[in-house]
Amino acid sequence: MVQSILDAISLGGLYSLAALGLGLVFGVMRLVNFAHAELITIAAYTLVLTAQFPLAVSLLFTVIVTVFVALLMEFSVYRRLRGVNPAIMLIASFGLSTVLQRVYELMFGALPRSAVVAPFLRGDFKVAGLSITISSIITIVLTIVILLAMGYLIEKTSLGLQLRAASADFKTARLLGVRSNRLISAAFGLSGVLAACVALILVIQNPQISPYYGLNITILSLVGIVIGGIASLRGAALGGFIVGVVLSSLNTLLGNGRVYAYSWLFILVLVILLVRPGGLLSKGSELERV
Amino acid sequence: MKHGGVTKFSIQNLLGPIIVLILLTHFVGGASTSLQLVTQMALCLFVMVLALQVFVGNSGVLSFGHGAFALIGSYVSAILTAPVNIKDNALSMNQLWEPLVSPQVNIYVALVISAAVSGLIAAITGIFLMRLNGLAAGIATFALLGVAYNVFFNNKKIGPGSQALPGVPLIDNNWILLLLAVLSLILVYFINISRIGRTLRATREDAMAAPALGISIFKVRLIAFIISGAVAGLSGGMYSHVAGTFQVQDYYLEFTFITLSMLIVGGSASIWGALVGTFLITAVGQVLLMMEQDLPVFGIQVQIPLGSRAVIIALTFVAVLLWRSGGITNGKEFRIPKLKKIS
Repeated sequence: MVQSILDAISLGGLYSLAALGLGLVFGVMRLVNFAHAELITIAAYTLVLTAQFPLAVSLLFTVIVTVFVALLMEFSVYRRLRGVNPAIMLIASFGLSTVLQRVYELMFGALPRSAVVAPFLRGDFKVAGLSITISSIITIVLTIVILLAMGYLIEKTSLGLQLRAASADFKTARLLGVRSNRLISAAFGLSGVLAACVALILVIQNPQISPYYGLNITILSLVGIVIGGIASLRGAALGGFIVGVVLSSLNTLLGNGRVYAYSWLFILVLVILLVRPGGLLSKGSELERV
Repeated sequence: MKHGGVTKFSIQNLLGPIIVLILLTHFVGGASTSLQLVTQMALCLFVMVLALQVFVGNSGVLSFGHGAFALIGSYVSAILTAPVNIKDNALSMNQLWEPLVSPQVNIYVALVISAAVSGLIAAITGIFLMRLNGLAAGIATFALLGVAYNVFFNNKKIGPGSQALPGVPLIDNNWILLLLAVLSLILVYFINISRIGRTLRATREDAMAAPALGISIFKVRLIAFIISGAVAGLSGGMYSHVAGTFQVQDYYLEFTFITLSMLIVGGSASIWGALVGTFLITAVGQVLLMMEQDLPVFGIQVQIPLGSRAVIIALTFVAVLLWRSGGITNGKEFRIPKLKKIS
């Protein structure tokens, strides 16, 4: 029971990190970056392929590679698409996502790659007679630390202020001196860092990396940011958290019926969207075409 | 911003794509057995892309849910026509629900039923989904696909679950498939130039001004969604009679992305765009497949590494969007190119 609750919270935290990465980029350029999945995947590959080095070195390397790929996406594709219909950008991100999946398949093979990453984070320990897995605790602690750091960055720093300003009104923010190219690059870089964090947590739980590794979590976080409210980063994080908690709880509660967990989750998503089309944290409705 | 779309009937807009379809079916579909199958599958996909065009192209709302309608159409048509002994034997261990084992109808009756069932489901779900806008609508339609896929993949009472249902009778005739595609094309064309199509495009161009003109966004979108769902159901049904099987996995993410890319690459605002996108992506895919297998293409033998096909297709797709965000046709309908006067 305790373990189930911890699992639910840790999955929620993980999804909120992924949702935050998507939300950052969406905020500054109205782009739903579906290829965020491939950032998580490349981070996971890097972690597994550099597993023989000390964890700190491997992590540093992973962050560098992931941020590099994120910036590459921005410079090669998204920068040229700025200002076009968001639907076109979304579709382009699907295309980019497919390109990267296939490139990974050519580079690393279609079969899963695996290695033991951070073995000391596996296993479980006992508290008051209850057995608890270390990874769920680590996930929760890591998520809280990262969310606090992100919160600080967004609420207290100049970069955060610019990100919030650009999310609220990109044109006005530019007129007031926000440098759009630099800011968008920063958003992509940050989303790369977040993808690396997500990958670290995912790899501890499941070190079998295939070219589609990041797909599932990205789709579900995408659902999360929409039900949370795409207009704000808080909404994104909250939505991701809800999706994670609900999915994990459904898996526990449904027993044999857990194969239908996704159906119940999606039905819940539909209900939330019908009641609050702009998301849970929205203030009034705004017509936007995607 | 102008996104295109025709309002007046023009014979060349309608006949042009039909003639191109006939020529493609005759020359490519008749060239060899493997090309015949490719052409047949392309015709099914074209019907699917038309379904997307009538809704997505006119309303500007992205739908990731049409895979669900194709899935249902394909399922209905397959379960109604597959021989009783196959349903009985191949699926006996899965305890297929008894009333589903015995029905046997003619292929064409089954196709009509599959379009009707998909249209009905589009109507029921559309009542809820069409209240949404923008990204929320996109995610909600995706949720629809998610539910359909999840239920059909896991429930072995209603269908084959994660396995394939074999033995679905084939429509082994290019011309019948062509006829179905042409009928869908004519239907979609007349919807596009009708009041429904025009008001729907008005809501796409300005979701604030359209209601001020007395247009009910919900109503026009719902009507288009139902028609579009029925056409998608027909395409799914056609596909199960071309492939000879029904399999849930055929209608999930990859299917959704490839059909949407065909629409967007061609140009989502026109049926000509739907045609160009479908056949161009199919052709590029086929040529690259032959290169991967080291077969000569138009007499020239070029070998590319195994697995690079998908990278090249996806790259082409991204490149087209970078080059022309309105798609290759930029949303224009077919017209006979005018010869420039040389003065």
